[in-house]
Amino acid sequence: MQHEPVVRLEGVTKKVSSKTLVENVTLDIPPGQVFGFLGPNGAGKTTTIRMMVGLTSISQGDIKICGYSIKEHFETAVSNVGAIVENPEMYKFLTGYQNLRHFARMMTGITEARIQEVVGLVGLNNRIHDKVKTYSLGMRQRLGVAQAILHRPKLLILDEPTNGLDPQGIRELRDYLRLLCHEEGTTVFVSSHLLSEMELMCDSVAIIQNGRLIDVRSLKDRSADSQSAAIETGFLVDDPKKALSILEGAALQDSMITLKITRDEIAETNARLVQAGIKVYGIHTVTRSLEEQFLEMTGGDQIG
Amino acid sequence: MGNFFSLVQNENMKIYRRVRTWVMLGILVVVNLVIPLLFSMVDSEGATSIWDSVILSSTFTFFLCTIFSVIIAADSVAGEFSWGTIKLLLIRPWSRSKILLSKYVSVILFSLLCTVLLTGVSLLVSSLLFSGSADSNMFTPGKSGLVFTLQYILCDYVNLFITVAIAFMLSTVFRAGGLAIGLALFIMFTKGIFMTLFSPERYTWAKYLIFTHMDLTSYLQSDVGPGGITLGFSLAVLAVYYIVFMAISWYVFKKRDVAA
Repeated sequence: MQHEPVVRLEGVTKKVSSKTLVENVTLDIPPGQVFGFLGPNGAGKTTTIRMMVGLTSISQGDIKICGYSIKEHFETAVSNVGAIVENPEMYKFLTGYQNLRHFARMMTGITEARIQEVVGLVGLNNRIHDKVKTYSLGMRQRLGVAQAILHRPKLLILDEPTNGLDPQGIRELRDYLRLLCHEEGTTVFVSSHLLSEMELMCDSVAIIQNGRLIDVRSLKDRSADSQSAAIETGFLVDDPKKALSILEGAALQDSMITLKITRDEIAETNARLVQAGIKVYGIHTVTRSLEEQFLEMTGGDQIG
Repeated sequence: MGNFFSLVQNENMKIYRRVRTWVMLGILVVVNLVIPLLFSMVDSEGATSIWDSVILSSTFTFFLCTIFSVIIAADSVAGEFSWGTIKLLLIRPWSRSKILLSKYVSVILFSLLCTVLLTGVSLLVSSLLFSGSADSNMFTPGKSGLVFTLQYILCDYVNLFITVAIAFMLSTVFRAGGLAIGLALFIMFTKGIFMTLFSPERYTWAKYLIFTHMDLTSYLQSDVGPGGITLGFSLAVLAVYYIVFMAISWYVFKKRDVAA
């Protein structure tokens, strides 16, 4: 059961009148990961999340959380979920503590000690008895995280969690999510359009555009099995044309020879170039940032 | 999963932790203190009985009681939507029906609190100020002042109960507190005009209008209302309307897609 996906989206479609917001999305989210959900504005991220937590009905298909359909067994399915959908809205006329009590009452088995523990975790000890209307956005975000993790959910869903946070706040949130994921085994599902952010935060990402899932990839690949994996490598040489004729499968890119080879082959290629009398000025691993990959995939076209 | 009582407790917290609620309850108390006082000033003969005073003052103050209950009812659902907290509320392991029911129960509890407060204060002040024993001609012969007064307030409460149901439904359907308050109060104040325009004496279909039946106090004097309608008929019509209002609220709340 270890590898049973925490969330399973099965051909999920959302139609509002004649507009299709999300089309036939099928996706498994494995447990114990920080899973990113990427897409440009209006791609259907929030709509998908709303369907996952039962705020919006599903036109076609089904979503299962820990094996329970959100349609048929809403109460059981959703008891495994903690979420912030868009901004962390709280009851402003209540104190942070009263807000937490409010949500604690709606779930079973949350003790006073657990509330205190969570308050400590998100670092709100000093302000928890102040009214929420006096909180800054960062503090509200923390309170939002606190209410979402009160019941130790197996799945934590955060929609655009870094919206409006300052760099320090973003960093804290990132560290905190990593901690949750690794210490408590919580699966974290984060949506965002901030690519650099996601790259730092997530283990895997799914990319959605115009309501369709276009790619799911692991971001761990880069570091994993670097011994045997072929890496896009660039050679900076004095005579690119000659180099091209020697190396099969190589391409010329901005006066640099690029080809996809393993670690050992890099050394061999270098030796061949040197033997052929070509001067090698530099060897680089061509890493494309997620942003470049993303723009490439989504064709750079924005809101469709 | 959990118990329903804690949901109601939550809703009560959201009502009574707001300054607004205490301002409303304060106004209700003050007005119920002042109105019998004003009566005692104009009552030079000293013949007014306690019950006369209670009933007279409640004809004024029950409006306030209804307005405040309508405000709480209108804000109950619409408020969650305008604060955005509905998204946090609906992703708990509770069905939407139960969440809506907890809101409705808390609204009804508030309206009962207002009514009890109103009756209690005006009874207390009236009993201190008035001692006249002459029962006025308002009362049905053979009924004691106490019974008549309680029946009168019960009729007022039925009126409030239906008005609150309308406000609660509008709040759920339109998610706009202002609109719900406005429309509910509009109905409350104009139902007299509707009754005059569309009297069941003139049009038989008018006896199926809700406006004809909201004020039941006329049955305290006579068994038959305008156009030959009876108390039983009025209650049946009100019950049908009430069930329709509740059904619409529940249906809309359950089906609604919660979007920004």
